[in-house]
Amino acid sequence: MSISSIFTVLMYALAPFAWLIIAGVVILLAVHLLAYMRGYQITQYRCMLATGIAALIGLSAFFWAPWLTNSQFTYINTVFDWVAAIGSIIGAFVVAFLLLHPLSYLVKGQDT
Amino acid sequence: MKKSPFTLSRRQLLKAGAGLSASGLLYTSALQANTIDTQARIVVVGGGASGMAMANRLATRLRGGTITLIEPRDTHHYQPGWTLVASGVWHPEKTMRPNADFVPQGINWVRQYAAGIDAENRRVDLANGESLEYDYLVVATGLQLNYNLIDGMSSDLVGQHGIGSVYASVEGAARTRQAIKGWIDSGEGKGIFTSAPTAVKCAGAPLKMTFTTLTHLEESGRRDAFDVDFMSPTGGLFSQPWVNDFVKQRFDEQGVNRRHHYRLSAIDPQAKQAEFTFEGDQGSLVVPNDLRSGTANAQGKPTIIADYDFIHVVPPMSAPDFVKQSDLIAQDGPHQGEWLDVDIHTLQHKRYPEVFGIGDVIGAPINKTAASVKAQAPVVEANLLAAIQGKSLTARHDGYTSCPMITGIGKAMLVEFGYEDNYAFMPTFPFIDPKDESWAVWVMKDYMLQPAYYAVLEGQA
Ligand SMILES: Cc1cc2nc3c(=O)[nH]c(=O)nc-3n(C[C@H](O)[C@H](O)[C@H](O)COP(=O)(O)OP(=O)(O)OC[C@H]3O[C@@H](n4cnc5c(N)ncnc54)[C@H](O)[C@@H]3O)c2cc1C
Repeated sequence: MSISSIFTVLMYALAPFAWLIIAGVVILLAVHLLAYMRGYQITQYRCMLATGIAALIGLSAFFWAPWLTNSQFTYINTVFDWVAAIGSIIGAFVVAFLLLHPLSYLVKGQDT
Repeated sequence: MKKSPFTLSRRQLLKAGAGLSASGLLYTSALQANTIDTQARIVVVGGGASGMAMANRLATRLRGGTITLIEPRDTHHYQPGWTLVASGVWHPEKTMRPNADFVPQGINWVRQYAAGIDAENRRVDLANGESLEYDYLVVATGLQLNYNLIDGMSSDLVGQHGIGSVYASVEGAARTRQAIKGWIDSGEGKGIFTSAPTAVKCAGAPLKMTFTTLTHLEESGRRDAFDVDFMSPTGGLFSQPWVNDFVKQRFDEQGVNRRHHYRLSAIDPQAKQAEFTFEGDQGSLVVPNDLRSGTANAQGKPTIIADYDFIHVVPPMSAPDFVKQSDLIAQDGPHQGEWLDVDIHTLQHKRYPEVFGIGDVIGAPINKTAASVKAQAPVVEANLLAAIQGKSLTARHDGYTSCPMITGIGKAMLVEFGYEDNYAFMPTFPFIDPKDESWAVWVMKDYMLQPAYYAVLEGQA
């Protein structure tokens, strides 16, 4: 399968979720914009709680990613499965972090 | 044709995607460069996976001429999803889309059944009495389910009297799910899974239905209260030798009684009894204790009677009757009288060079899958265009076929193979071993194959 075929199929696969992806990106951008306007800087601000919760959400993906796909984590078997599972852990962590980190700043960060 | 907002947004998304990828841009411009002028009248009979893919490909490649698609149905059915419907994983609605979403602009869509093909006079007769003349014909009718060849059986029975059949239709798949659930909810009993004596579409589907039902049985916590038999009319279960051995071994491990050379020949729905004709060497027949000997049939072959609480029926299959009655049907060889007579590599008809075949209808040793359609469509496109231009046909189909072999709900193997070397594996991705059961392959089956299929329909993949 050529790269362009893989790319085409990916675009078709993502198309039904386009509204969800766009809504998610809009929410993320809105939270970041709001936080930046109030002085938030991703590299300067530290929040162990937000990072910890994001890490927990990321790790939990190991269990709910198979469940969400009508499967179970005992079926994670091949190297490719493990790469996909670790990818979903990292992906869930990054998204959760990008949301929770500026949110925590908005809630309490300005005072700390 | 009218496009739904969803299709538009998806196409826009694809366009945007093409803008992002250099390879995508090159792909588009290469296609435009290869557009040819013609006055030819091209008729595509059948607008399922293969016919729709051909209509889209030809609409992109030809300038001038006429392309006519004969397809009676308004709804397109994603048949590979039916196994998931019958297994209780998908809702039936997920497998249906309006055909209007896929029919390309600028072609004639005739919403009629074709009733006959006169290959000598290059004419297709329609059910409404009209006819269409062609210069080139693409036969893409899919196949016909011959439930009538099993005495007492009809597709109307699916969902009643413990009868299931994933092949019947999407409604049949949903009713099959109910029949399986009813059997499991009853708490005990015998389930029989059958296979057909002919080539079938997605030859893995009868095996997948057995595996997904085993998952439900195991999850019920009462696996031991159920007997599961798999009756095969031959000595094998699957054409690919490694997979055949794997499935046999897995059935044995999961307590499935394998009976070979048992062909389902009759069914008595009221009595919940099935009659099997023994197709093997008669001396080798030992009727198991849980089955009974029946009377020999008209050909003197022994029959065996089995009681069941659930039975999964796989009907014999062939080309549709109107294709069988035409000059296009194979006149000799293994596909005689049953399948379209094409060269399995060029997909051109062996006797009528202006006719091409694609999809389930063709006479080929393997290949009745949508995955094969994906591989065949560019070959038919290239060879049909070559024929129009008077060039020699150089594109060749290697027999590629694929079956995500579901071995339980939540795991599958990406089995891909072709004609060569006794159906040797042809893996698309070097990092996916066709011999491994995998969660990621299941995810592909559940989420990625349907979009890939729609990309094929639109001529994009
Ligand atoms: C239960 C099941 C599971 C499957 N699983 C898989 C899988 O996992 N992977 C895979 O790759 N494939 C799978 N398949 C197979 C795949 O769906 C078929 O191989 C594919 O659809 C074949 O395409 P086709 O165009 O030849 O036939 P079809 O898609 O069946 O289309 C035939 C079309 O012809 C039309 N037609 C019929 N008669 C006439 C007539 N007289 N006049 C005009 N039009 C007519 C029909 O309306 C239909 O639209 C599965 C199929 C089933 C049933």
